[in-house]
Amino acid sequence: MLLPAFEYHRPTGLAEAFEVLDHYAGKARVLAGGTDLLVNMKRKTVAPKQLVGLERVAELLGVRAGNGRIEIGARETAARLAGAGGIARDLGVLAMAAAKLGSPQVRNLATIGGNLCTARPAADMPLPLLVLDARVVLAGSAGEREVGLDAFFAGPGQTVAQPKEILTKVVIDRAEPGTGGGFVKLGLRRTLEIALVNAAALLTLDVDGKTIKKARVALGAVAPTPIRAPEAERVLLGKVASDELFAHAGEAAKQDARPITDHRGSATFRLEMVSVLTRRALHQAWENAREQ
Amino acid sequence: MKKHPIRLNVNGTEYDLLVAPNRTLTQALREDLGLTGAKHGCGVGDCGSCTVLLNGAPVNSCLVLAVQADGSNITTIEGLAEGTSLHPLQTSFIEKGAIQCGFCTPGMIMSAKALLDHSDRPTAREIREALSGNLCRCTGYQKIVEAVSDAAENMSRGGRKES
Ligand SMILES: Cc1cc2nc3c(=O)[nH]c(=O)nc-3n(C[C@H](O)[C@H](O)[C@H](O)COP(=O)(O)OP(=O)(O)OC[C@H]3O[C@@H](n4cnc5c(N)ncnc54)[C@H](O)[C@@H]3O)c2cc1C
Ligand code: FES
Ligand code: FES
Repeated sequence: MLLPAFEYHRPTGLAEAFEVLDHYAGKARVLAGGTDLLVNMKRKTVAPKQLVGLERVAELLGVRAGNGRIEIGARETAARLAGAGGIARDLGVLAMAAAKLGSPQVRNLATIGGNLCTARPAADMPLPLLVLDARVVLAGSAGEREVGLDAFFAGPGQTVAQPKEILTKVVIDRAEPGTGGGFVKLGLRRTLEIALVNAAALLTLDVDGKTIKKARVALGAVAPTPIRAPEAERVLLGKVASDELFAHAGEAAKQDARPITDHRGSATFRLEMVSVLTRRALHQAWENAREQ
Repeated sequence: MKKHPIRLNVNGTEYDLLVAPNRTLTQALREDLGLTGAKHGCGVGDCGSCTVLLNGAPVNSCLVLAVQADGSNITTIEGLAEGTSLHPLQTSFIEKGAIQCGFCTPGMIMSAKALLDHSDRPTAREIREALSGNLCRCTGYQKIVEAVSDAAENMSRGGRKES
């Protein structure tokens, strides 16, 4: 499969990248890891005439902690995030999801910014970031804005980012003590598989080590965008954690999902899996929270 | 399409190339440099037959533009043997019968090499995980896993084995 023709721009910094994007009036596309865009260009589903490579833009690299926040550069790869050991309590749930994305080779290329901007309903990294209440920073020549991830996705393949904007970083708050996360992905085979359903959970336990002070659940592949599961969260809040409670939350999560039937699975099957995966992700989160 | 000058260090040798933007790293290696070890299979990241090490990390070279790789170090299967002495992975793949048609082998060995660069005695599970992005239509994987495990053992017992 050959790539169609295009012009390639290699800015060495963000300011220069914005200039190129402005010059082509938003018709130029940004290229990060290429694992999504180059595949689509080979399949001829998209044919941008201008590509702006981010490989020399160093401002988009690095994971920084400070002021109670953690900032993740948009070009950090799934492989690097899967191994983000130092800030495990905060980024553990993201690491779990990043480790399940694609294959080792894909993880070495695929970036967090690219995974968010593709806005695939089944993408893996949006879920941990939704339960972490992450925000993304969208920047352009006119300045930058911070958008909550729950308001970032607009539909399958669509986000609120303007064509002239670059997603520069993902921002999360540092986790409170007693916080743990879980991530579960169901595919038709173990690796190299886009999820049939995936789920992430985050629980913060009270000082008593039992009562759920904060609960977050996110689901993928069961709606036009990755979603939070407010019904499931409501069941959990303020209760004493237990596997029975997680089973209730799993049932409740079905009300949050709007799955479709496609060649990979029926809506009914997906709904059942929503409850199973929610329960499992919560159990994992609970175990991790108790270890903190 | 405006071509771009790039410099690649491939298997320890510096190359200066002028590449069209839509040239993939697989094409640059195979067609411009004549290094046909990395195979072109699916072209979309599924099969792993085009795997090379980019600054030490295995990647699908079919999903990297040659121009994106400007300034990086690349290792291909051609870079593993030292003179006539094969890399222990190459030897054990031959000895264990882990090669049949051989199409997947260069990619398989590059993924295995990346694993052994970081881990002396990987478990069978770790080996399967490291090779999970490489498809083989011939062997059923068991012999490949054995070959990698065998190579790891030989290497930890005293470096490269003469062939
Ligand atoms: C074999 C294979 C398996 C895969 N498996 C999975 C999987 O299991 N789970 C999963 O979630 N995904 C999977 N993917 C999809 C893909 O790897 C991910 O979505 C990846 O994170 C995309 O990141 P990228 O850096 O490669 O993006 P690119 O392909 O470079 O870009 C993707 C899109 O985002 C835009 N973009 C990228 N970065 C920015 C930025 N900073 N600002 C603005 N726009 C930007 C691009 O213009 C493009 O439209 C797989 C892909 C392949 C080829
Ligand atoms: S040819 Fe690159 S992964 Fe198949
Ligand atoms: S040996 Fe034939 S594909 Fe693996």
